Amino acid sequence: MINLLSYFCLGVGLVFWFWGTVSLLSSRSVLFKLHHLSVSDTLGSIAIIFGLLLRRPTEFPLLLLAILSLVLWNTMLGYVLAYCSSSDSNDGGQIDG
Amino acid sequence: MLNLVLMAMIVALLIPLYQAWRDEDIWQTMLALASVSAKSAVMILLVSILRDDWMIGIVGVIILSVGNAGFMLLAHILKRMGDS
Repeated sequence: MINLLSYFCLGVGLVFWFWGTVSLLSSRSVLFKLHHLSVSDTLGSIAIIFGLLLRRPTEFPLLLLAILSLVLWNTMLGYVLAYCSSSDSNDGGQIDG
Repeated sequence: MLNLVLMAMIVALLIPLYQAWRDEDIWQTMLALASVSAKSAVMILLVSILRDDWMIGIVGVIILSVGNAGFMLLAHILKRMGDS
């Protein structure tokens, strides 16, 4: 049963990964892709790590640290990339305006 | 079975690598490489579970935190270069 749940979490994580990554190939704006990527990478990775946690409960502290650093750093990286990339295009706009 | 999951992860890793190679815009490339770093760190964690060697797992966790922090600094540097 635990194995089944673990494979289910790994599958969900992979689906999230492919869903976010495929939108990367489209020719949409940076912010659109960033939204898809940060959601899919963070949630997909957490689902995968939770699936691994079910398989190896002895490594609970390490995998919990991985989940925490994913939640914190990936979210913050998404914000910083959005801030830096959008202020770049704004400045360009003002100069041309 | 976990090897199949690892193969699927490698395929999911190749897509942003292709995007980073194809696109000229620096922010699209940063986006793709940020995705590559998160995915490779999770793959390292999977390999550490497969081999039951948690030293490799520690490397994956370090990449998750320090790698993303490095990307943030790089983004700010690129922004400053764009401003000046």
